[in-house]
Amino acid sequence: MTVLVQLTDITRRFGLTEALKEVSLMVGPGVFGLLGPNGAGKTTLLRVLATVLEPDEGRLRLLGRDPADREARREIRRRLGYLPQSLGFYPDFTVFEFVEYFALLKEMAPEQVRPAVVRAIERVGLDDRARAQLKTLSGGMLRRVGIAQAIVNDPALLLLDEPTAGLDPEQRVQFRALLREIGAQGTVIVSTHLVEDVAAVCSDVALIDRGRIVFRGTPAELVAHGADEAVGDTPLEKGYTAVLAGVR
Amino acid sequence: MDKQPDTHPQDEHHIAGCATCQARFALEGLDVNLERVWQGVVAGVWSRPVSRTERLLGSLLHSPGLARALLTTPSLLPSWLLATAAVLTVGVFFTYSTGQPWVALLAPALAGASIAYAYGPGIDPAFELAQSLPVSHRTVLLVRAFTVFALNALLGLAASLVAGELSLLTASWLIPMSAVSALALTISLLSHSANTGVFAAFSGWALIVLGGRVATEQWAAAVTDATLMPFYLLVAALMTVVILRLADESDRRKANWR
Repeated sequence: MTVLVQLTDITRRFGLTEALKEVSLMVGPGVFGLLGPNGAGKTTLLRVLATVLEPDEGRLRLLGRDPADREARREIRRRLGYLPQSLGFYPDFTVFEFVEYFALLKEMAPEQVRPAVVRAIERVGLDDRARAQLKTLSGGMLRRVGIAQAIVNDPALLLLDEPTAGLDPEQRVQFRALLREIGAQGTVIVSTHLVEDVAAVCSDVALIDRGRIVFRGTPAELVAHGADEAVGDTPLEKGYTAVLAGVR
Repeated sequence: MDKQPDTHPQDEHHIAGCATCQARFALEGLDVNLERVWQGVVAGVWSRPVSRTERLLGSLLHSPGLARALLTTPSLLPSWLLATAAVLTVGVFFTYSTGQPWVALLAPALAGASIAYAYGPGIDPAFELAQSLPVSHRTVLLVRAFTVFALNALLGLAASLVAGELSLLTASWLIPMSAVSALALTISLLSHSANTGVFAAFSGWALIVLGGRVATEQWAAAVTDATLMPFYLLVAALMTVVILRLADESDRRKANWR
């Protein structure tokens, strides 16, 4: 397996709180699901992977490079797509301008920017709203704009924090198809607490709880942990709650 | 929509007499990426043309992304610059009518407010995302702060010229303006709030102006008292060091923007 993301004993603290505790993880191509309850450390882990936060301890390698090195970090960021949990928007920008702005800041070649922006907007199904100002869009549409900026540079590593929040069922189905398509070309790491998203698209999954990875395997292996009496409506939910109950 | 099956025969006789087939073969011979052409056409319809200013800035800064980031600075928007010019115009009017150096007293506070609204988590809605991009946020901060400061200095100098304050006063208020601007930006970055930065700038400057007035009975003391200049320079230098540290990428883990 080609390892594109490698974390070794990563620890990240906020004051006295340890948000990540000696997290070690290797991720290759495909769609990787990061599951866990609220406050488990999923967002912190994604922010570390997005090079927004620096770990306090441990080693990190992204796309075969060490982000602690300034030039390597810049190269990683050129090939990175990131959708934060709460993405702010410039209300007067149009959809096209917003995606174009981030394409420019990702240092894409000038002649590639506009075709790439068109492609990204079409891929998230917003072609009919490309000239609409962001302040006129619904929450679900804004989420799709966020996804468009994340994929505009055809990232080798795509990090998505709760990407399906606010999307209606039809949009979620379309989005999962898009994830599969992107996952076939690179690595996608999706943080979510919606297990059905994981069941639908992820080839591999990790469960994080109180800053530690408590499960790593395929969705089928997670399902296998679930007992009949475990809490949950679906086999994957039962596996999820059974693993959490086992470590608490 | 279903595509019609191609019923045209491929023999030379047919092609020689068929305009449709000739056009199709001509296009195939050009080796045109029609998808890319289409995307270019669509982009032309969806986007606004890039302004001359943006093109010029892109060339000067060697980065179209940085140029766009500069032009999205709230305190560089035409409405903000017009408001600054309007306040300075009122200052010119009061300078003439009262004989007090209002432009010199207003310019540092205005620059402080503008700088506080130049950059930061409270200003850029997509600040979190911007930190994961190859164009470093330190560069964006410095380019924006420098440009805002320079434009405010130019506007202040123009107002001073009109008010007849040029000479000693002009040279003097530029130094406190540096200190007030640096203070505003520092507080804005530390507190993640531009309004707090503006409040700090206004309060600090008001205290100095009022203190000078009480001590010397002259409103202009804050900009004419030579003994204050080392203090302004020290504040400006210290705050600049803090700003650079806050913006330094190697210090990201201490910045801890949430």
